[in-house]
Parts: sequence; structure tokens; C-alpha cells
Amino acid sequence: MVPASTLHAPRRAAPRRVTAEPPFVRWLLIGVALLFLGLFLVVPLAAVFVEAFAKGVGYYFHTFNDANTLSAIKLTFITAAIAVPLNCVFGVAAAWAIAKFDFRGKTVLITLIDLPFSVSPVVSGMIYVLLFGAQGLLGPWLLEHNIKIIFAVPGIVLATMFVTFPFVARELIPLMQAQGRTEEEAARVLGASGWQTFWRVTLPNIKWGLLYGVILCNARAMGEFGAVSVVSGHIRGQTNTIPLHVEILYNEYNFVGAFAVASLLTFLAVVTLALKTWAERKNAALRGTGN
Amino acid sequence: MSVEVRNVSKKFGQFTALDGVSLKIESGELVALLGPSGSGKTTLLRIIAGLEFPDPGDAQVLFYGEDVTTIPASQRKAGFAFQHYALFRHLNVFENIAFGLRVRPRATRPGEAEIRERVEKLLKLIQLEPLAKRFPSQLSGGQRQRISLARALAVEPKVLLLDEPFGALDAKVRKELRRWLRKLHDEIHITTLFVTHDQEEALEVADRVAILRVGRVEQIGTPEEIYDNPASPFVYDFLGNVNLFSGRVRDGTVVIGGTEFAVPETAGESDSDAIAFVRPHDIRVTREPGGPAMLAARVIRSNAAGPLANLELVRLDTGEQFTVQLSKEQFQQLQPKAGEPVFVELRNVKVFSDDYSI
Amino acid sequence: MAKKTTSVLPGFRLTLGYTVLYLSLIVLIPLACAFWKTSELTWGQFWHAVAAPRVLASYRLSFGASFLAALTNLFFGLLVAWVLVRYQFWGKRFVDALVDLPFALPTAVAGIALTAVYAPHGWIGQWLEPLGIQVAFTRLGVFVALTFIGLPFIVRTVQPVLEDFDLEIEESAASLGANRWQTFWRVTLPMLRPALLTGFTLAFARALGEYGSVVFISGNMPMKTEITPLLIITKLEEFDYPGATAIAVVMLVASFVLLLAINFLQWWSHRHHRPV
Repeated sequence: MVPASTLHAPRRAAPRRVTAEPPFVRWLLIGVALLFLGLFLVVPLAAVFVEAFAKGVGYYFHTFNDANTLSAIKLTFITAAIAVPLNCVFGVAAAWAIAKFDFRGKTVLITLIDLPFSVSPVVSGMIYVLLFGAQGLLGPWLLEHNIKIIFAVPGIVLATMFVTFPFVARELIPLMQAQGRTEEEAARVLGASGWQTFWRVTLPNIKWGLLYGVILCNARAMGEFGAVSVVSGHIRGQTNTIPLHVEILYNEYNFVGAFAVASLLTFLAVVTLALKTWAERKNAALRGTGN
Repeated sequence: MSVEVRNVSKKFGQFTALDGVSLKIESGELVALLGPSGSGKTTLLRIIAGLEFPDPGDAQVLFYGEDVTTIPASQRKAGFAFQHYALFRHLNVFENIAFGLRVRPRATRPGEAEIRERVEKLLKLIQLEPLAKRFPSQLSGGQRQRISLARALAVEPKVLLLDEPFGALDAKVRKELRRWLRKLHDEIHITTLFVTHDQEEALEVADRVAILRVGRVEQIGTPEEIYDNPASPFVYDFLGNVNLFSGRVRDGTVVIGGTEFAVPETAGESDSDAIAFVRPHDIRVTREPGGPAMLAARVIRSNAAGPLANLELVRLDTGEQFTVQLSKEQFQQLQPKAGEPVFVELRNVKVFSDDYSI
Repeated sequence: MAKKTTSVLPGFRLTLGYTVLYLSLIVLIPLACAFWKTSELTWGQFWHAVAAPRVLASYRLSFGASFLAALTNLFFGLLVAWVLVRYQFWGKRFVDALVDLPFALPTAVAGIALTAVYAPHGWIGQWLEPLGIQVAFTRLGVFVALTFIGLPFIVRTVQPVLEDFDLEIEESAASLGANRWQTFWRVTLPMLRPALLTGFTLAFARALGEYGSVVFISGNMPMKTEITPLLIITKLEEFDYPGATAIAVVMLVASFVLLLAINFLQWWSHRHHRPV
């Protein structure tokens, strides 16, 4: 027997769930959020490209036909090519030690690895000046042996390594901790050597997280401004990276040139975001297939 | 010919996981390591596999007479099935099983054709041939467990070690899979040790059962031996439901509420307080005081749902409560009502003289 | 005698040793240098360097603008996270990816782009100019740049918490008679508080040290729109290393305090805000 109330209930539109807001509130919130993001993110992003092409496509490409611009691009790539792999190896080693083993002082170590993130880029550059600069701790010795670090390429690489130091490690540590060590143990029991375990079991499990860290590390390495600015000395054609070259062009009131070079970095940022979103999704999918 | 551990101890900080454990598993035997959580059973299994190492001392792990105590897990040739399977999530079923063969040094690594043949044979053994290309995430818990077993078997281990093999499965799959494991063992006769906290599972599947308690082996024997002759109140309690009756022991008998029951194992003991242990199905209930060995009790409630009926009773003299298990037939004959006075007869009364605590 | 092995996985000593060595060489030893250099100063010299009027003005601007920017992001960051987690709309995936733009875009590029947009004749600046609002080359410009770079921190700390948020908690509040606003204000928001605080602190810490995006838009007038990191660079360019280092030490101590606060917040929320 069906209760009478059910039979005679008037037909109504499905009521709103208690955890949902009324439509106008929903659309208001979405609208305000998008407006905010539009003003703060989209408009500046678009401005870079519009300003870069302000004098036409021909002028845009003309900017890159310049020895100083090209040497800045080259130096940026060299810097990233040294700093990123080194920090990548470090990140994997640190994550392996921290995630797969138990030892005292682990929390302190993790905090110290994160340290460069909370140091101002300007201070990050400055500490290398204090260490290797002419008045620095090792300055006299370096001068004697004719080794130049500050206002030269090695200083730029070091400062970049410092500011990009935690990226790979902090991506891998939580990922590897969450994955635990049973898969590695299973591989060992099945006769795999240490290297085989790493290459065949650990690496495939962390590859998307690793890629994610490398992408972010690379974006920061190529775009770092404050730290590099302190140690570079701004010698055109020698110690200028792309961001420093942007500054020089801008300060010379060559706005179109500055934005043209900046558009290169902006393009890199957009590619980074796309790759990052893709790696994130792959990683989530891989995590989702856990046992 | 056996797998053996001698005098193995293991401490984790202040916690003693194993305290001088020795155990011998004969070749081809299926042995269950049974114990509550924290009894050290998984630690012992991991030590045999080489995943943990015993505390320094005279501890030894022997595989067929060979001392493997210091040999690392990767060279020990022990097959290990992890509780949560630890399947490689990035490899499909086929490659998971083939892993142990593929990581062998080139000299001993089988060719591609042989690997394929061996994996397919194992897939057939575990009856999952159609799933070879699937990934672990696409499988049910029971299927994952069988893959993890096949993966362990692929390297032709000297001993198969299973950590709570059915722990993460639901009740129905559990029962199916443990029959399957027993059948599998009867087919391939590999020396096997498995850890469980489920007494029913241990008693049903194993040839012998070793019971662990706080890092020590409390008793080891065939399921019948330990069930019928438990060595301690702990074992007695762990293997099934139990009723406690307080009374006094006197030279081969125990006196409970003025009634004497024979307990031959206490022969020669002087008069002292004792706790008698009786299983719920070893108690007979009647309405008439039929014989001398009877206790007076009253029915509190009854529950006849399921294949057996349970009666909650209370002793009239001491007020102690106990449970009786009856068959459906006995229950229908008796038709007990709450509050009704009855008489009970105790059979297979067990008294442990040295330690009364459970 | 058993081998003294604690784990079946190899490489512990190698990886930990390498980690500590690399960390020391790249991070710890150079950082220690700053403190060593400061110790060469007398207390009076140190005080003179870190408490000069121009320096104090820069602290006020750096700390004040960073605080206000983080506060703004607290509100808008929560809004963006809420909209991204709770609502469906066209282009959501794109918007989600876009939130990280300030992480990915080099700060110098952000700086010149924001300056172009907010300059008196820029896309947005031209609309604000008639209202008497000047953004570029004022303190407001510093605030805008710091808001830009701090935005992702709040969104990205609140978003995962909101995603894992058990809707049954809101449902139970509703079943007890709370309306939607009461549920949000009394139930949801308090449970988001640790994440919001962590995000706020992260954004604040980042803004405090920020240099690249600010120098272009601020105009860099001493006493008015000069941030502390810029002052350090100015001193370095004047070869006043002790002066620069002293100010840097103040900044370092501030960031360490914030870092400790963040760690404490995470430890605390881990302890007290586990779902029941």
C-alpha cells in the first residue's frame, strides 16, 4: 500500500540541494571571481603581446635580430641547462632518503630544503656576493687564482640554483611518502637489485610528479630576476639573461623591444602552465590507480 | 628439509616485536602464523623474507639447512605476498608476474618465449588468463591477491610467505579464496607460511598452526591438536568462544557449585581456587535435574537466528553468566523461555593450573 | 653475526649524504655568510643601518603593502577556490590553470605588464585616472603587484581542503536548521581557517621579499615607494655591503619567523583538524 501523501503530492520542480546556493548567488560569485582574475591575470597577459606587436610583426622579429638579445637567450638556456638537472638529481636523492627511510631530524631537513622559498630573491643573490664577491669571504682567494664568479656566469648559475633549489624535492617528497615502500620491497623480494628497483618501480611511479617539478623548476630558472640581477653585473652580451635584458630595454624606453623579448618569457610561462596542467592530470590518474 | 628460524628477537625502539622465536616449517607444509595484532607475526614473516633483520645475537634463518640470515631479500628466493598486494601500478598483470624473471642477471634470465610461457602457466594456475593485459586498478581485491601470489610464485621461491592474504577482502571472497589457496597448495606443494589473525581461517586452511602472543610462540600443532588441547588459557580463548566457571581444584577434579567434574590434567594438585573453561557447545541444557553433574541456572534470553541457537544463562549460585550453543533441533525440543529455571551439564571442562588469566 | 642493515632498500647513506652536502653548499653556508658578515658590525652600526628613516619607511611600505595584498587575496583567493571547486561553468579548466600564472610568469615580465596596464594611459589606468586614482608609480601600484604575485598561494592551499570537504557536514548543519549563510559562516569557514591562515602567511612571506614585479610599477621614490628589497640592491650598488647585509638579516629573520609560523600552522591543523 502506497502512502496517500505520496500519491497526492503536487508536482514540483526538483528542490535545491541544501548544499547548493541559489542560482543568482552562484552566478554572482562566479562573475566576481572571473572579473577579478580577468583584471589581475588576463589583462596583463594580453598586454604583453599587444605591446610587443605594437609596431607590427616585422618590428617584433627585428628585435630578435640583435646580438645582445641572442646572447641573453643563450645565457638563459645555459643557466637552466645546468641548474635544472642538478636540482633534479638533488630532488630525487632527497626524496628517496626522506620518503623511503626513517631517521631523526627528518622534519628539520624538509624545512631546510624549503628554506630558499622564503628568502627574498634579492637576499638570495646577495649571499653569493658576500661569499664570492671582491669584498667577500672567498673574494681575495678567488682574485688571486683569477676565478670570477660574481658578475660572471658561475654566479648567475649559483643564484639560479638557490632560488630553484626546492622545486623538484618538494614535489617528490609527499608523492613518494604517499606511495610508501611496499612496491619497492616487493621488487627486492622478487630479486631486483637496488638500481633495478629504482628504474623499474620507483621512477615509473614518480615520473609525472618529477616532470611537474622539473617544469616549475625550469620556468623559475629561466625567469628569475631579483637574485640574478644582484650577481650579474648587467654586462651586455655577457652576463645578461632574458629577464635582465627586458629590464635594460625597458629602462631605455625601448618599450616595444622590451615587450617583444618579454613575450618570449610569457610564451614560456603559458607553455609551462599547459604542461603543468597536463602532468598534474597524469599524476592524478597514476595516483588514482593505486592499490 | 625445512625452513627454520632459531632464536629470533626484534625490537623496534622500546617495543619488543619478537622475543626469541624459534619455528620450523617442514618442506611442503602449509603453516599458519596465528595471533592478535601486535603479536609479532608479520615481523617474523618479514624477517624470514629478508625485509627486516633480526636483532644482532645468535638469531638464524635457515632455508633447507642453508643459513640465509645475512642474505638480502633480493637474493633469498622467498616469495612474499603483501597484505595490500603491492602490485606495480604502472605494469599490467602480465608484466607484474614477469617482473621477477625480467630483473634477473642476464646470465640466468630466461628468454622472452620462456617468460611468456611461464607467466601464461601461472595465469592459468590462478585462473585469470583473460586479464593478462589489465592494470591492477582494473581488478577486484580477490583478483589482485591472486596476481600477487602468481607474481611471488614466478621466481620459483623456496618458501611462499603470505602476509594476511585475505585480510583486505570481504567475507564471501575470503572464504572462496582460502579454499582456493588450500587447493593450490595441494597441487604445487610449496612450503608456505601465512600470517592471519582469524582463527577460523588458520584452522581451516593450515596443516599446522603456530600461535603467537607478544613476540613468543605460545603453541604449535595441527588444528585438531591445538583446538582440543590448548596449551594455555590464551590459546583456548583465542581459538573460540569460551565460558568461565569459578570453582576449586582438588586432585583430578574441579568442584563448581557443589558439583564435581573430572579434569585429569590436574591430578596431584592440592586444593586451590581455579577457573574452569568450557566451550559453549560443550554444555547440555535440560529441564530435569537428571544426574549428579548438573548445575542450576536460569535462562536470560535466547537467539535462534542462524544455523545454531545461542542461550544466555545465569548461574543461580554465583550469578555468573555464560553462553550455550545448541543445534536448531535441540533448541526446538527444549523451547526455552526467558526467566525459566534449567539445569546444565558441563563436558570437556578444562582447567589451567599455573595461569588463570586470559 | 647479522649484518647491520635496517632496510632492504639501498642507498640511504648515499642519498642522505648527498642531500645534506648539496643543501649545505648551495643553501646553508651562503646563508650563514649573511649572519657572519653582520657580526662584523658593532651594535651601533647595525642599528644605524637597519633603523635609518629611509629604511624604516621601506619596512612600513613592504610590510604594510604585503599585509594588505595578502588580505585582499584571502578574500578573492577563497572566492576563486570556492567557485572552482563548487560550481560548474564553461572554461573552468582553463581558469584553474590560469590561477598559476603568477607562479609561471617571470616577475620582471609581470612588472612591466602591470605597469603598462595601470599607467595613466594604460588599459585600466585610463579609466581610473578621471576618478583621481593613480596606480602606477604610487604605493597602490606596489599593492597591485603584490596582490598579483600572491594570488595563487591562497587558492592553492584552500582548494584541496575544499575538494576533500565532506558535504555531509554541511548537510548535517542544514538538517539542524542552519540556512546557507549560517552553514558557511559557522561550519565551512571555521574548517577552512587553517588552510586560509597558511595561504595568507605564504602569500605574505612571498610579497615581503618580492622584487621583480614591484620595481617597475612602484617608481622607487625614497621614503615613499621604495620597498626593502630594492633598498638592499641600492646599498649593494653603492658597495655598502655591511649596510645591505644588516637590512637583509632583518628580512631573513622576518622570513624565518614566517616559515616557522607556516610549519606550526600545518602541524597544528594536522593535529586538530583531522576529519572526525
